[in-house]
Amino acid sequence: MSKKKQIGRYKILGELGRGAMGVVYRAEDPALDRVVALKTILLSDDVDNRKEYEKRFAMEARAAGKLNHPNIVTTFDFGEEGDLAFLAMELLEGTDLRTRLKDKGLATDEAVEIAVQVADGLGFAHERGVVHRDIKPGNIMLLERGGAKIMDFGIARMRSDDFKTSTGMVLGTPRFMSPEQIGGAVVDQRSDVFSLGVVLYEMLTGQMLFAGTDSAQIAHNVTNIEHEPLSRRNKEVTSLLDFVVARALKKDPAVRYQDAYEFAADLRTCLAELRGRPVTDAKRDTTKTVKLARKIDSKQPAPVAGAIAPSTRLSLSRQFDSRAALKRLAAPGMLDRAALVRQPRSVGLLRRICRDAGPRLLFLSSLAAAAASGYIAFG
Amino acid sequence: MNSSYVASVVFLKIQDFASRAASEQARQRAQLEAVIAVTTADLAPASRVVLDSSDGAAIVVLANPPGALRLAERALKASAAGLPLCAGINHGAVRVLGSGVGEAMVGDGIAVAASVAQFAPASEVRVTRAFRDALADAAPGQEASLVPKGASTDASLRSHELFTRDRAELQRRGRAYAALSTAAVVVLLASGAGWRISQQGKEAFFDGLAAKYRATTAQGERYVRGLVEKAKLQ
Repeated sequence: MSKKKQIGRYKILGELGRGAMGVVYRAEDPALDRVVALKTILLSDDVDNRKEYEKRFAMEARAAGKLNHPNIVTTFDFGEEGDLAFLAMELLEGTDLRTRLKDKGLATDEAVEIAVQVADGLGFAHERGVVHRDIKPGNIMLLERGGAKIMDFGIARMRSDDFKTSTGMVLGTPRFMSPEQIGGAVVDQRSDVFSLGVVLYEMLTGQMLFAGTDSAQIAHNVTNIEHEPLSRRNKEVTSLLDFVVARALKKDPAVRYQDAYEFAADLRTCLAELRGRPVTDAKRDTTKTVKLARKIDSKQPAPVAGAIAPSTRLSLSRQFDSRAALKRLAAPGMLDRAALVRQPRSVGLLRRICRDAGPRLLFLSSLAAAAASGYIAFG
Repeated sequence: MNSSYVASVVFLKIQDFASRAASEQARQRAQLEAVIAVTTADLAPASRVVLDSSDGAAIVVLANPPGALRLAERALKASAAGLPLCAGINHGAVRVLGSGVGEAMVGDGIAVAASVAQFAPASEVRVTRAFRDALADAAPGQEASLVPKGASTDASLRSHELFTRDRAELQRRGRAYAALSTAAVVVLLASGAGWRISQQGKEAFFDGLAAKYRATTAQGERYVRGLVEKAKLQ
């Protein structure tokens, strides 16, 4: 990509970074005398593909342009020039969450606060029918003045980086994807909730939730492996926060949080608990505004729930001390080992008579009666 | 610790757990932990491992199927206190994975117990054929209280023969054995008498019986009289 001095009406002031889609510039909008971040996307050479892409880009950019929320990066303008499509966005001073996590990590309450803000932003976008589909630390900007903003709204789904399924469908980064997204199913706002759950898990533990040597393995883990409870890895995590994150990370979208506002409301309660103060009613009032396309009766088991086989791997409870039993399993005595590995035997007649009260009564009374009968007959 | 063991797994499931609010889930989880603390107190610490699951808990009971059944029944009584529990019990293979913080257990024993718990209505227990056999082996006769409750197929298309606990069945069985024992006694005594009658004739048998009765009665009277005399002398 040659160095450009101007893209559209925007005057390039410098380069801010490079990504999979293109370059992000610091640029000036002479019309409004405003400095913006100009994100460029290299368009395909294939004419057919390009037309389709341009159409989608315009649609997504328009949708993103409607999102005016303190936790979403504002999109001002979009356009095309030559082989480049571009988006003019609010220029932010801060660090992205990925860099922050690499540098020094986050305190527990700070992590929850960021998640609350991101959930609020997501809730707002979901209300307007926009699903992000690529929530990850790299797309969350932490501002210098405090607060978090979601980046790349609307255009995230147009990206063609990291991961392809066996069917060739381009999806994105699998580590933060929901199981339904990996499976290639139609995704809705609940997919973003799952992704935010994964991000929150990483913020709270400093460790990747779904690790793996390659995309296929990560995808398998996302789909099948139940996460280890947060409180095992971070002692500051309360049991309520454990539940909230667990609910966001449900494999089955029908039993996950149904909207991001609901998730945000519960996270606020956790935050209040962490900071030792009660939740104000005003904060609580920000919930329940998303209308789902299809009403889901949460009391009924989800149709797909039965299709997801439960993982057989269960973690040891922290509340109960099982060390004695584990020690026994680790080094059982000879006889004990035999008892611990033995499959049930069928109960023979002798054992039945000795240990089962009913047959024993029958046997003993018959024996006594037989003796008496013999005496009567021959005595 | 890579060996597989065979153990009884009690899977306690909180019903509709996923659909409840997080605060309610936290409350129910705390309640479940209290229930487990009380019910596992009966078991030796070296014979149980408590595992967390997303909607309940699993207790792996080592070499004690009757203990596992008792534990499940006591836990289900907690339903009366407002905790909507149901239970599934299986006897199968389990294995310890990892060590330290990441320690976990896996195995078909756990998976099947979890599946079976899904078929249990509130406050009820469902057990597998494998557990029933294990209970019969450990405490012959106790398995009679586990009565068939049909079969169900889980999400992995595995079919499970299910049983549920019916204490009245044990009493019915006890009464049946008592009746059978009485009948056996009557038949055996009657056959002895019948044999004697066929050999001696009816009159001789009853005369002999009457003579024996009189002799026994007279002997009894003498004995009582002797006791009375002794008492008078003193």
